[in-house]
Formats: sequence, C-alpha cells, structure tokens
Amino acid sequence: MADDKDVLRDVWFGRIPACFTLSPEETTEREAEPYYLLLPRVSYLTLVTDKVKKHFLKVMKAEDVEEMWFEYEGTPLKWHYPIGVLFDLHASNTALPWSVSVHFKSFPEHDLLHCTSNSVIEAHFMSSIKEADALKHKSQVINDMQKKDHKQLWMGLQNDKFDQFWAMNRKLMEYPTEEGGFRYIPFRIYQTTSDRPFIQKLFRPVSAEGHALTLGDLLKELCPASICAEDEPKRFQVMVHGIEPLLETPVQWLSEHLSHPDNFLHISVIPAPSD
Amino acid sequence: MMAGERSPASCYLDERTFRLCCRLFLQHSETIQDGWSWEQIKGTDEGFMKKTVLLPVKSSVLHKQHGCFMQAENMDLLTDDIQANVEDETAGVQAVCEIHAVLRYEYHVLYSCSYQIPVLYFRASTLDGNPLSLEEVWSNVHPNYRQRLQQGPWDTLTQQEHPLLGQPFFMLHPCRTEEFMKPALDLAQAENKRVNYIVSWLSVVGPVVGLDVPLSYCTEVSAPD
Repeated sequence: MADDKDVLRDVWFGRIPACFTLSPEETTEREAEPYYLLLPRVSYLTLVTDKVKKHFLKVMKAEDVEEMWFEYEGTPLKWHYPIGVLFDLHASNTALPWSVSVHFKSFPEHDLLHCTSNSVIEAHFMSSIKEADALKHKSQVINDMQKKDHKQLWMGLQNDKFDQFWAMNRKLMEYPTEEGGFRYIPFRIYQTTSDRPFIQKLFRPVSAEGHALTLGDLLKELCPASICAEDEPKRFQVMVHGIEPLLETPVQWLSEHLSHPDNFLHISVIPAPSD
Repeated sequence: MMAGERSPASCYLDERTFRLCCRLFLQHSETIQDGWSWEQIKGTDEGFMKKTVLLPVKSSVLHKQHGCFMQAENMDLLTDDIQANVEDETAGVQAVCEIHAVLRYEYHVLYSCSYQIPVLYFRASTLDGNPLSLEEVWSNVHPNYRQRLQQGPWDTLTQQEHPLLGQPFFMLHPCRTEEFMKPALDLAQAENKRVNYIVSWLSVVGPVVGLDVPLSYCTEVSAPD
C-alpha cells in the first residue's frame, strides 16, 4: 500500500481545469477570448487569477473596471472558500473544464467578501489556521510558533511550495499518542440545499469508550439527512477533494490527510446525480 | 458550591451558559425597551442576539469621509439631508448647526464554538441600503480606540462571512477577548460578585464600534444559576 504521506502530495497537487469567460454584462472594446487555467484545489480563486484579470483588462476600458469577482451559473463564488470546495459544492458531476464567469462591476455586496489585495487572503487563511488550532490544541501550537513560521505557512500556499508548507504544517498535525487524536476535529459541512453556509460544531475524534469515530459517525450526528439506510437509493454524495471517502474512515485520519491547508476538513454534501 | 471553593475564573463560556446569559440579557432589554431580540435560524437549534440602531454621524466625521462617500451614490442623499437640516436650522440658530447624517448599524452577538466565547458581528449601511466599506467603518470607530486597534488592522476588525447567515459582516476578532475578560472576571470573583458574561463582555467591545450598553445592564442583569 502506498504511504499515507503520498496522500498529502495528491491533495496538494489536485487541479481543476477551468475556462474563464467574461460575463456578457460587461462592456468591452472588442470581443474577449475565454481564458483557460488549471486551478489548484487547495488555493483561493483571488490568489491564482492574476493572469485572468490581465487577460480581460486588455479588452476593457479602465473606467469599466471595478473589483473582479466570479460566478458559476448564477451563483457568486465565495473566494474565501478553497477552490476545490467551490467546485465540489457547485459543479461536481458537470462537464470539464469548469466554466466560470468573470465580472468587473456590480459587485454582489450581500454575497461576497471584498478581496482587494493578497493581504486580505493571507489574513483569512491565517485566521482559519488559528481557529483550527484552537479546536485541535487550544491554540497552543500556533501560539508557540513565531511570526516567520506563520509566514512560512502562508508563503508555502501562495507560492505552491508543498515542502515549505508541510515542514511547518506537520507541527499543527501532531497530538499526544495516548489521546488518539486532536481535542476536536476542525471541519465544516457544506450543503447546497441549505440556507446556512455550513455546519460547524464540536466533534471529538475518539468516543467516550475510546474507539475512533468515523466520517459516518460525524454525519449521523450533525447531518443525518446526508446518509441513508442500505436499502434506500442514495440521495446525497459526500465529497472531500472530489472523492467520496468511505464512511468507515476515521475522522482523525481524514483531518490529518484530507484537510485543506487552512487545517479544516471541508465536506460537501451534494444531491446524488439522478441517472 | 461555596464561593470560596470556586475554581479560578474561566474566560471560556460553554454554549449553554451563553444561551442562559443571553436570555437574562434579553429579559432586561425587554424591560428597558432598547431593542435586542433573539433570532433563531430556521430548522436548527442555533441563533443569535440582534439589535439595529440608527447612528447619527456628525458633519465633521462626514466631511472627513467625503472621499469615501463620493464613490457611493448615496452621497446625494446625505447631502440632501444636510441641506434640509441647514434650511431648518437657519430659522433658529445661525452660526452653529449640528448637521447629521444617519447610518444603520446592525449588531449580532454569536457564539463561537471554536473559541468558546461570544463574538460581535455587525454591518453598517446608509438608510437607502448601501453597505459601508471597511475603511468607512474604521473612520467611524472612536479615535480613542482607533489608534490602538489599527496597529494590527487585519487582526482586529475584518470583513467575514456571518457563520449562520452566510453574508458579509464585520467582525471584531475574538483573539483579544481573554486579555480583557480575565481581569474583569477575576475582579468580580475577588469581590464575590456574580457577573453576566455577556454584559461584561459587550460593555467592553460594544462601544468600540458605536454600540452602547446602558449601565442598568450591569446592575440589573444577573449571571445564570
């Protein structure tokens, strides 16, 4: 069997082919060609789309350009969710490349956070890591790190440097052997069928009796609608990084191996395709 | 438990105590009619405390913000207000006219299970619904707080997704909560007083972003049993 460490690499280098097209609502001086890009699943839309922006600015007048934002089939895409989460949640089971519309005006103030510079993404990313460590280690690991260590985590993500990121991130993944896992698992469950953006609660990786709790246990407790009895047709898919992990997988293993760089396990629950 | 046997004051608040503190807070709010309510999220057991207030912005503040406001169409509206005010007041006092524009601030008190503390979210808009930007909100922060907070602006006041509504809100980052709650709770314990966590906490963080907590909360609202 392949080493579990290989999983970290596979997760980090996951890519989604995307086709960016300028929204027809935008005013251009000449026709805008679509722009194709391989998007890293673990990164953020606004962090990896400088080229997309440059490409479309070539056909636009400066006065028609405000803050850039993205939309997929009428849904504004939240840049502060990792790209892979946006794709799994909104575009699983659709044809590739993922077709994303680009806007430069009418910023949807009621749906999206502003992102005027990379420092906003960095602040969001670091605040997620801090929150995750509050859950995992009562913030002890992240508080023991120095500023340059925090910077190393961010630079690793920003520059797509797997080794640089993981040299530091492995400290955030440690736990006392006798405890069998983190204090709580940092996770979020997203559903397209819900008004709530996500479900996030306290959940321990080990039961009171001492056995490892699984993805199935987590869903049963916090999102029971997502799992069905064996004799029922499957109504939902439970996706992490574009795959459906077995419900028997321990959540501690998932947290260590399938978390995003922000240290959260992002779980998308989507309607099963009806074929 | 005897008072003397109590464990050291904890800055952390479990979700159940958060609810109980909020309930007592809301009971007092009903008595003094200052507009707090509990908003339940449909189909869940989760919710938050909410209050909407209209905040007058002094003309001096507005002028300073002129640059920020110009980009928004609401400048016209604000200017109209000022004009109307000026005309009204010229009848009376001539030299000094207190000119006000009005902003709508909506405050939400949520529970953070990650940090096990309450968190203050808010959003601000003009009366015709144009949301204020982070910079505009900053300029409304009282100058006494601004300088200290701005040493790390991205750490203290940021735009974040409201975890229950999924909409953009501003949030006062909770990482400093322990710093000011611990002395407050320790003092209360030393004096053998039982304080309502939400009252103590909100009296500190609220005023930073224009939210006043009347003194009667401190005297009238008790801690949950």
